[in-house]
Amino acid sequence: MKRALSILAVASAMGGPVLAEEFTWAGTTDPQTLDPHAVNSAPVLGFLNNVYEGLVRRGKDMSIEPALATSWEPIGNGKGWRFLLREGVTFHDGSSFDAEDVLFSYQRASNEGSDTRSWFSPVSDVKVVDAYTVDILTTAPNPIFPDSIANWMMVDKGWAEANESALPDKENGNYATLNANGTGAFMVSEREPGLRTELVPHAGWWGEVEHNITRAEFTPVQNPATAVAALLSGDVDMINPVPIQDAERLAGSGDVQVIRGIEARVIMLGMAQESDVLKYGDDEGKPNPFKDARVRAAVSHAVNVPAILKTIMRGNAEPASQLVSPAMRGYSNANADRPVFDQAKAKALLAEAGYPDGFSFGLKCPNNRYLNDEAVCQAVTSMLAQVGMVAQLDAMPVQNYWPELRADNYDMYLLGWSPGTFDAEHPIRFLASTPNKEKKLGSWNFAGYSNARIDALLPMIQSEIDATKRQDMLDEAAKIMQDETAYVPMYVQPLVWGTGKNISLTQRPDNFFILRWVSVN
Amino acid sequence: MLTFVIRRVFQSALVLLIVGLVAFSMFRFVGDPIDNMLGQERTDADIARLRTDLGLDQPFPVQYVKFLKGAAEGNFGVSYRQGRPVSTILVERAPATLELAAVSGFFAITIGIGLGVFTAIRRDGFMANMIMSVSLIGVSLPTFLIGILLIYLFAVELGWLPSFGRGDVVNIGWWSTGFLTASGLKALILPSITLGLYQMTLIMRLVRSEMLEVLRQDYIRFARARGLKERSVNFRHALKNTLVPVITVTGLQLGSIIAFAIITETVFQWPGVGLLFINAIQFVDIPVMAAYLMLISVMFVGINLIVDLLYFAIDPRLRVDQKGAK
Repeated sequence: MKRALSILAVASAMGGPVLAEEFTWAGTTDPQTLDPHAVNSAPVLGFLNNVYEGLVRRGKDMSIEPALATSWEPIGNGKGWRFLLREGVTFHDGSSFDAEDVLFSYQRASNEGSDTRSWFSPVSDVKVVDAYTVDILTTAPNPIFPDSIANWMMVDKGWAEANESALPDKENGNYATLNANGTGAFMVSEREPGLRTELVPHAGWWGEVEHNITRAEFTPVQNPATAVAALLSGDVDMINPVPIQDAERLAGSGDVQVIRGIEARVIMLGMAQESDVLKYGDDEGKPNPFKDARVRAAVSHAVNVPAILKTIMRGNAEPASQLVSPAMRGYSNANADRPVFDQAKAKALLAEAGYPDGFSFGLKCPNNRYLNDEAVCQAVTSMLAQVGMVAQLDAMPVQNYWPELRADNYDMYLLGWSPGTFDAEHPIRFLASTPNKEKKLGSWNFAGYSNARIDALLPMIQSEIDATKRQDMLDEAAKIMQDETAYVPMYVQPLVWGTGKNISLTQRPDNFFILRWVSVN
Repeated sequence: MLTFVIRRVFQSALVLLIVGLVAFSMFRFVGDPIDNMLGQERTDADIARLRTDLGLDQPFPVQYVKFLKGAAEGNFGVSYRQGRPVSTILVERAPATLELAAVSGFFAITIGIGLGVFTAIRRDGFMANMIMSVSLIGVSLPTFLIGILLIYLFAVELGWLPSFGRGDVVNIGWWSTGFLTASGLKALILPSITLGLYQMTLIMRLVRSEMLEVLRQDYIRFARARGLKERSVNFRHALKNTLVPVITVTGLQLGSIIAFAIITETVFQWPGVGLLFINAIQFVDIPVMAAYLMLISVMFVGINLIVDLLYFAIDPRLRVDQKGAK
């Protein structure tokens, strides 16, 4: 890389054409598909944000800004939105973008086999008004709908149909799994799944070019030590993530820079509130203490979050008071205080609830899902033990962890949640609503937390147009969850990226790496 | 002869079937692929539908039989992670592993034999003792540690060699080779040393002890008494007789070089089948895991079968026993 640059620099000094800037970066996970509607996961959507575009997109501060739509407005008494499309946009293969592609992308992305289907559950119909106007109708007023479709990417109808990829195929793969044809600033020029993906700028891109990259390459590197070595040796220009324990050393080494930020993901403890009995530990089969809100409150006071942040997160993370981080829309400033660390209070609460001598239970924890997740669980275990709550810790790889949670095999568990819509409504829908398969609510509410007022607030929050009233309701929901200690939010997971000294870029809280904001100096 | 071969082939097939069965019974302990294939906004209905589509709702013997039927037709299924046929992926990844194994095998044999002879001849020399002591490190240090140490020394500190990957490759038909480019050759050095170090020390120690044994033989003394040059005695007479057991061991080690490449490939992000397998485990990509395990066992069983047949061809006593048994 270094050598390639110097050769190119010489070439340009000798009157060569444009100075070429190559950029290589490494991450832990290769996007498993190039199909933007097949898999709703951060590695896939984050990568494809460089290649495909939606009607709207998120800016450097996460705010929604126009992309393939230039403007939008509510129609039909709030029950829908009219999007005016940008004219003159071309896909990478040269075909032009219009309203038919939007309708097609809606049908494709909301299809049963598509993982992005849930984004369109409020949508009742999509109508093409003219070539550059689209109406998206919703069953109820939906003020955050434009926010919720920032990752809904537009696929060219003609291209997909010609290549037999009219629908995403996750199980068997199709043309769109391996090839991409978006409208984004970069196009995929070469792809070897699992090994490397090469991007080059899309010459016909409609936007204003901020980057100076002529060729970019992404390589997945799983071993963190290898990634750090690759960055130090200059074989790659950027790695994500930097192992937390190496961040300090790298930042001090002088050759590279460490870019820190806060991710959208809140790490929390969940406690079984539905089960009548404890399932693990010495008190297995005895009545479940976590049904009592005072016991849950005791947990929140017994966990010394500042100590976890200082020792395990090495000062890189921020404490969390609620299910979303302050960077999210709808964050409740009124409920920004988290329970203080107070062992005496925790013991008093336990005694009040009828457990003066504590009890024993099981804590389930992943060991490869969140940053230092197992270490955090070990710390939590010893902190709870100090007030008499003896946890039997069982840590396992995430591929075994979710099946355990789905099978209700836990008394307490660790969970991280990053709201896909970047709005406080999202965790209420998935984590706090009473589980209801038909209404598709509470699908990650393993704890079985249930509060009638929260359930009543959710549809009101979803359809409230007035921002102040909406925030009042979100505040109320946040307060209820704090008062009842529905979960024990602990901290917002940090983002730690490493880059070469000559790289400037923008880090976004959703951990998406946006190539068009990179410049190589 | 024929009955012996047929019996051996049958035994090998049986071993393969059992390996497959054990592998399939283990897969559900590796985890559930569903969560990796669906995003966080999935519903229970989505989970159930995907499980049925993939056939994961069926008991493992049924899944196994299905896999065998496909495998018999050369169809190993579609990777859950990549959405491509497993056979295509394996063919794509195999050259990287085979080239790495070949180079590290070559490195292990040449350096191993060379050092083995040297330490045997200069049995009490300072250098020979040094080499013997240092070689203990090769046997006792875990592969990933050696790899990381080499990366830090040669890639980070000295900046001579790349820290990961395979460099530029040239495609000759379906085979991608790193032998034809400078960056490809440079990229081979560290992983081959890492992978071959253990085998090298093994061969070195084996050659040394065999050589010491041979050097005590009478014919070596007679050769020396005849006034033959030392070089000729050591290499033409002694080494030749040393190599018989070395070749046997090396042949058997070839399989383990390929199988143990997993760790080296992970450390160096080497795009071979070992890395593919590790990724498959993390993703619970059952078709890839199944195909890889079957391939590795086919390889080991195949090598053993060939060795057995060679013994049969070489050793007349086996043939006599066969006749006697009848």
